[in-house]
Amino acid sequence: MIPVAYSANFRYLLRHPWQLALALLGIGVGVAVIVAVDLANASARKAFLLSMDTVTGAATHQIVGGPRGVSEDIYATLRVEHGMLDIAPVVEGTVLVDNARFSLLGIDLFAEQSMRSFTGETRSNDSNASNPESLFVEFLVTPGVVTTSQQTAADFALEPGSAFELLANGKPQQATFLATFADDANGSVDRLLVTDIATAQEWLGQTSWLTRIDVRIADGDDNALRALEAALPSDTRVLSAAGRTRATSEMSRAFMTNLTAMSLLALLVGLFLIFNSVAFSVLQRRALIGTLRALGLTRRQLLAIILIEAAMIGLVAAVLGVVLGVVLGEHLLDLVSRTINDLYYRVNVTDVSVEPFSIVKGLVAGVGAALLAAAVPAIEATSYQPRLAMARSILERRTQRTLPVLTLTGVALTLASAVLIIASGTNLVAGLTAVFLMILGFALCVPLVVRVASSLGAPAAKSLGGTSARMAVADVASGLSRTGIAIVALAVAVSATIGVSIMVDSFRGSVSDWLERALQADVYASAQRGAMDPELIDAIRDLDGIESVSTLNRAWIENADGRIQVQVLQMPRDAYAGTDILDADPATVWPAWENTDTVLVSEPFAYRTGVTAGDTVTLPTDNGLFEFSIAATYQSYDTTTSGIMMNRAIYARHYDDETIESVGLYLSNDDRADTVVEQIENLSEATQQLYVTSNANARRESLRIFDRTFVITDVLYWLALGVAFIGILSAMLALLLERAREFATLRALGMTPMQLGGMILSQSGVIGLLSGLAAVPLGIAMAWVLINVINRRAFGWQIDMTITPSILVVAVVFAMGVAVLAGLYPAYRAGQNSPALAMREE
Amino acid sequence: MRGVIIPACFILLRITIARAARMPHSSDMSSESVAIQTRGLCRRFREGEREHVVLNGVDLDIREGETVALRGRSGSGKSTLLNLIGGIDTPDAGSVSVAGIELAGLSERDLTLFRREHVGIVYQSFNLVPTLNVADNVRLVLELNNVPSTQASTRIDELLNAVGLADRADSFPDVLSGGEQQRVAIARALCHEPAVLLADEPTGNLDDNNADGVLELLDTLVRASGHTMLIATHSIRVASHCDRVLELHNGQLEPSASQ
Repeated sequence: MIPVAYSANFRYLLRHPWQLALALLGIGVGVAVIVAVDLANASARKAFLLSMDTVTGAATHQIVGGPRGVSEDIYATLRVEHGMLDIAPVVEGTVLVDNARFSLLGIDLFAEQSMRSFTGETRSNDSNASNPESLFVEFLVTPGVVTTSQQTAADFALEPGSAFELLANGKPQQATFLATFADDANGSVDRLLVTDIATAQEWLGQTSWLTRIDVRIADGDDNALRALEAALPSDTRVLSAAGRTRATSEMSRAFMTNLTAMSLLALLVGLFLIFNSVAFSVLQRRALIGTLRALGLTRRQLLAIILIEAAMIGLVAAVLGVVLGVVLGEHLLDLVSRTINDLYYRVNVTDVSVEPFSIVKGLVAGVGAALLAAAVPAIEATSYQPRLAMARSILERRTQRTLPVLTLTGVALTLASAVLIIASGTNLVAGLTAVFLMILGFALCVPLVVRVASSLGAPAAKSLGGTSARMAVADVASGLSRTGIAIVALAVAVSATIGVSIMVDSFRGSVSDWLERALQADVYASAQRGAMDPELIDAIRDLDGIESVSTLNRAWIENADGRIQVQVLQMPRDAYAGTDILDADPATVWPAWENTDTVLVSEPFAYRTGVTAGDTVTLPTDNGLFEFSIAATYQSYDTTTSGIMMNRAIYARHYDDETIESVGLYLSNDDRADTVVEQIENLSEATQQLYVTSNANARRESLRIFDRTFVITDVLYWLALGVAFIGILSAMLALLLERAREFATLRALGMTPMQLGGMILSQSGVIGLLSGLAAVPLGIAMAWVLINVINRRAFGWQIDMTITPSILVVAVVFAMGVAVLAGLYPAYRAGQNSPALAMREE
Repeated sequence: MRGVIIPACFILLRITIARAARMPHSSDMSSESVAIQTRGLCRRFREGEREHVVLNGVDLDIREGETVALRGRSGSGKSTLLNLIGGIDTPDAGSVSVAGIELAGLSERDLTLFRREHVGIVYQSFNLVPTLNVADNVRLVLELNNVPSTQASTRIDELLNAVGLADRADSFPDVLSGGEQQRVAIARALCHEPAVLLADEPTGNLDDNNADGVLELLDTLVRASGHTMLIATHSIRVASHCDRVLELHNGQLEPSASQ
């Protein structure tokens, strides 16, 4: 090795600290976004799994039943008649304490010992009753006592023996805090209240019913499993506990995959940035490289110097990125967990769990990106002739000569992307790979487009703003080796904003239209997690001005493949128009749905399972498995991707469940909606708190949740834009360095600092304009792929793509704004430099 | 090179008339005839702890129409003196007056406007704007001086004819030879009829042939037409084309021993 040669190169970086700092920042932010998303996803998933594992405890299997759960008689039979001791009944639900959601776990303390460690023991200093046995007795005999984790007790200022109110199934209940768990299990049981099973049944309105029965079977003991299955009635099934947890956690997989893809976009933009930075530093050092080559440095040695330097930059940036990523991850975690809570399942997570694997991924991504990005300029540098200097014009000509090859490669990648989309069926990862291929392909085409646009625009600029305006435009093309990558980075980032904006806008439009159609009733009333009181429903029916009522129950039916949501509906025929039938004639569908064992399936369900009108779907019923005919597919933007719509009358034939979760009220006079809302609120105040809303409010609230789920997407593409901003700033500062003599000459010729600054700002503006314009076609193409490939494959939704012109205009103006902002400091600096610089010889 | 000189003669008359028209109207002709005057000019540079005195009380008078060569070893302060006279740099002490304009006390903006209007500069490395073609390199200075477009085009044609590059008007600097680039630089320096032309080693980057061509141009376009010119040079040959030769030594001016 030749330390002096390393030192000569390294000192160059130290002499240009801003260049080094921007390169570090660019790649650092890219890594930070990846690490943050990875940590947020992993933390949310880990918290969920940990919580599920803790609550599942030692259970290897779980006995589940129909929509109402498992009859407690079955538990008694298994324990008494079949002598099965390693089983424990569980009643689970959600309650509200001070408007905060808690999981409620009802247990039988006698059966718990073999199942869960945390439920049966409490901290001895929690109660005045020093004898643990007295706590045990108190738990069993006192109605309404609960235990919880120490953290939760502290969060809600619960003292042992204190009473508090909770809301279960919309009804207020008095609870008494007994003690905290002996083992908090790393916070995995926060926001969990444990109570006696009878209390839970009473609070949740599940008297005589269990949510499930946990079972512990020794590993490989197939006989015990078979014996258990044989002892169960037809409306219950034994499922693997781990499988159930996995199936639930899988619900959010597509969401998390999409987030990861978005984070990779930021790294991709960062990759362009590091490429730009390394390429420029190599170009800047062409004289030094030429000298070192002339002095005898081999190509291989030179390649090693540049790559090692890039790896060092990548490593330092990646370390910075990891630190930044952990901080950013804390903030993203809030957004991720909120979206998961809104759309998929309940997860309680507040702290990022820093996973070594995520850190390693970030470091590898940073160093890998730096090496990948440095490879091209490094190979380029080794081709320099061993002479003292190479004219910049030669380098520019070389860059210009490579443009056709780059463009052809870009076209080939774009075609490959199209082929991949067509050939990959419904594979989401392949779809995302296609998006990245498309972005890369497009990126390679941008420089040629910029050159052509700049060349064509230069004469026009001259006639509009004179020679300096011409310079501002023409310099973009002639300095492509410096500005090209920055333009590509900005174009890619802006195109992502266009693509995502069009997708979200189209999606929002489709959802809004869908809500308009689907929400047919004038007023909706629903229980806050649970069944509505039947008497209350009757009272509501009797209110003045109510023409008809629809009822809904979302029953979860579970089999080995996962959970299926059956929407049990009874609605007036006029309301059928609210369901958009996609693949059959509504005139034949609705009579069949009313009278036969027929269901409708949602579009996401049909896409995921590959079924269509005329097929069948097999569901577990109270009488065993039953094959329902599929009358049609209906449009739905449900996030569960498992929607099945069943007529209440048909449902009643197969399930002993009269639960009604919500009612829709059709009024004789729409204008009375607010009055009816008020009447229902008054009616329900004394019996059961309901969530009551008018049609307009329901739509607004749905769209508010919709918008909230896309906040994280906005954050991610703003970060990508931030990286692009750094890229443009870096490129403009690099140009300033490279063209210092030229700018000094212009100053010496009589250009004022303002004129020179104006010219540089104009050039930044042109870079922004060209980036913005170049981003438009990619943005639209990206939106198409996001809508028709990614969203379809991830969620099964069919979205009507609409392009709002303002999105495109705003994006182009925004790109110009970003570029001009990035040009401000270089423009200022150029004006400050002494014109005497022009006199100095190189 | 003869071909360059003949068209140059044609515009000689125009330049002389134009310069006469630009002369300040004043009753004191003796002071107006001094194009460049410096008194007690000092310039120091700091290198870490050390202070390096480059110019140490330079007094200089150059009459209008006079061409003066400034010689001295490398680092003697030739370029620094040119920068101070051109308003590119400001002195630590002393005064500079060019075309009757006292530079001391001028703001950065006024200095820029002064350079734009009254000074033409020719660099050793030509310093053409690489992204502008030959004609636009000249046009840039005319635009900065707000010369109307049609008038500027006529002027560019004249000057490019004069320097023998009329057929290269659309070419970009990177396809021109060094000699050609310097001829464009001379055209650019003269296009706005500056009061003084400052040239820093104008032949320093050229071979003998091209250097001869540039010197002939300077003779015909500058010297013979009565422009005031100060050339910093190492070359005795270049100096011999000037009316007077000064030597910069130890930060002060002395008449050249070689003269």
